[in-house]
Amino acid sequence: MGFGRYVSARVLWAAVVSLIIVTVTFLLLSAAPNPAVRRAATQAALQGGDPAEAAERVRELRGLDEPLYVRYMDFLRNVYTLDWGWSVSTSMPVTEAVTNALYYTAQYSIPWTILTIILGPLVGVYSAANMYSWKDHAATGFAFFGYAIPNFFFGIILLLIFGVWLEWIPVIYKPEVPVFSVQNAIQLTLPVFVLVTGSIGAVMRVSRNESAEFQNADFMKTAKAKGVSPLRAYAYHVMRPTLVPLSTTLVGQLLALFLGASLLVEVVFGIPGLGRLTYNALIQQDTNLVLGTTLFFTFVAVIGNLIEDLVFTVLDPRISYDDR
Amino acid sequence: MSADQPLLEVENLTTTFSTDNGTLTAVDGIDFSVDTGETVCIVGESGSGKTVATESITRIINTPPGEIEGTVRYKGRDLLSLPESELRQIRGNDIAHIFQNPQEAMNHCYTVGWQIVEALQIHQDVSDDEARARAVDLMDRVGIANASSRFDDYPHEFSGGQKQRVMIAMALVGDPDLLIADEPTTALDVTVQAQILKLLDDLQEEFEMGILFVTHDLGVVAEIADRIVVMYAGKVMERGGVLDIFDHPGHPYTQQLLECLPEFGGTGGGISGTLPDPYDPPEGCRFAPRCEYAEEACRTGEQPEEVEVAPGQRVSCVHYGPGGNPSIVRNDEFGPIDGDGTAPTDGESEVGPADD
Repeated sequence: MGFGRYVSARVLWAAVVSLIIVTVTFLLLSAAPNPAVRRAATQAALQGGDPAEAAERVRELRGLDEPLYVRYMDFLRNVYTLDWGWSVSTSMPVTEAVTNALYYTAQYSIPWTILTIILGPLVGVYSAANMYSWKDHAATGFAFFGYAIPNFFFGIILLLIFGVWLEWIPVIYKPEVPVFSVQNAIQLTLPVFVLVTGSIGAVMRVSRNESAEFQNADFMKTAKAKGVSPLRAYAYHVMRPTLVPLSTTLVGQLLALFLGASLLVEVVFGIPGLGRLTYNALIQQDTNLVLGTTLFFTFVAVIGNLIEDLVFTVLDPRISYDDR
Repeated sequence: MSADQPLLEVENLTTTFSTDNGTLTAVDGIDFSVDTGETVCIVGESGSGKTVATESITRIINTPPGEIEGTVRYKGRDLLSLPESELRQIRGNDIAHIFQNPQEAMNHCYTVGWQIVEALQIHQDVSDDEARARAVDLMDRVGIANASSRFDDYPHEFSGGQKQRVMIAMALVGDPDLLIADEPTTALDVTVQAQILKLLDDLQEEFEMGILFVTHDLGVVAEIADRIVVMYAGKVMERGGVLDIFDHPGHPYTQQLLECLPEFGGTGGGISGTLPDPYDPPEGCRFAPRCEYAEEACRTGEQPEEVEVAPGQRVSCVHYGPGGNPSIVRNDEFGPIDGDGTAPTDGESEVGPADD
């Protein structure tokens, strides 16, 4: 079957992409000065020793005197066996630090992603169905507002209103609250709301414009002539073709926010998630941890694009996967 | 339903669209009827309101911006006064549609089988397996080879003619009494056209359908029509049996339409000028600005009353009306070159009564 081969080819390609990214990362790292070596040299000099000798010792200890290709193979093996080294700033293995942070990131990312995927196309198609009416204008205005306002700023304003003035929600995020509890739901409402308003705008606009094309298509006339109700016609005949171009926007939009905005939102709301972990690792020059979180985001992006390509072919049967 | 009641009776049908530029009148008070087992062709240039007229029958044009007035009686029921939910039960079940462009008329995301089954299951409570079997039967009936294996194929895997066959199968799910075919062969090449027309002809007999056929192709009309309604700029110019109209077209517009066809003895030239502005139609006869016989009387008042010029043939033209002189319009030299030669004299004698 063409489809099976297409899927394996795409998966293989995703693996190649990740390999290229890992290789570039490795080359950059080996070209950059190693902070551990520099620290050892400084320390030796301070204590009256020979800095060059101390540096050499550390390099030997860390295997940095090996030829480049040996270090490259080691690096590859470690990356793909999830042996990502020790994080100095958090005093635990990098994988553990990432897993711990992911636990908090997932708590707001999953509801936010699901809400965007469901609400974005729905509001967009609703807007198209009522095009140029006040409902359309209201939905469009809301979309542009969410799209235009910076997430972190919107988050601060909402915290000020609902946390400080109205005191409806706690200003300080409590990581120890159980995941499935009312308390947790309340403290995650604002971050999720801020992120949904940020991501829904683009999704909504694309689905509005795409479905506007399809709702006037000839096949909608056919559906009506067959006796299909308007609700069913929108659900089946407009929504489905709209999802094809939308899936591209959706994945790109979500990934961009996941990588960028989540950091600021986590800082604003004090969530000890991946974004904050990356931020702290950068500030404290914890190379291994920076590498770990960056690689994690990279793999998420690669997998996201892979899923997008696969969804694409399932949604639109006209896309051929035979010759690629 | 009494025996002499037509299957479909359209009276004073007017369809307008409110737009930013004003009110566009696409169909302006037309009448026509279709009997069971009969094929009625609506003929006219592109933009003359044919499609809007047929899509007003079951209200599949969007309202608003469209607005439909008049009476559409189907087996005695007034469709235009029915609520949307009852009309939905008639659409696709009693009155089926097929459209001009089968490529666009099917949703590219679903298999053809799915789309036929959708039409079936909306109107009938049948299981998926049974629906599939019925759909395969219909696909087989309309001439799709290997119907059961093609059920799961997507529209883009079919040729244009096959797609139109699938559309016809979709139209037949409810065993309709009236089939509205809106230029179903225009997008197809000539050999396929002939096959589709033949198929429709066979199916008409088998399913005892009335067919309302819209086309601008008079060659197709000659092939299939029992009666013709000639439309121009939202008005009916002339109507009558297919032989009468081809033999002795009464209205100058009909004459010029036939003149465009070399195979019917015409010159093959076009009609000079363009359709009038639908936002602001001219006074008097709509065709007057392009008519070589137009006189002062043609440019005032309303579209002239239809006058019977031969049994069953009616013309809306000043020259046939009270005080008019049909011989201005009647061109004796015009007629089928391959006809029996009696057409002009027949025409002359039949014009007589119209003068009374």
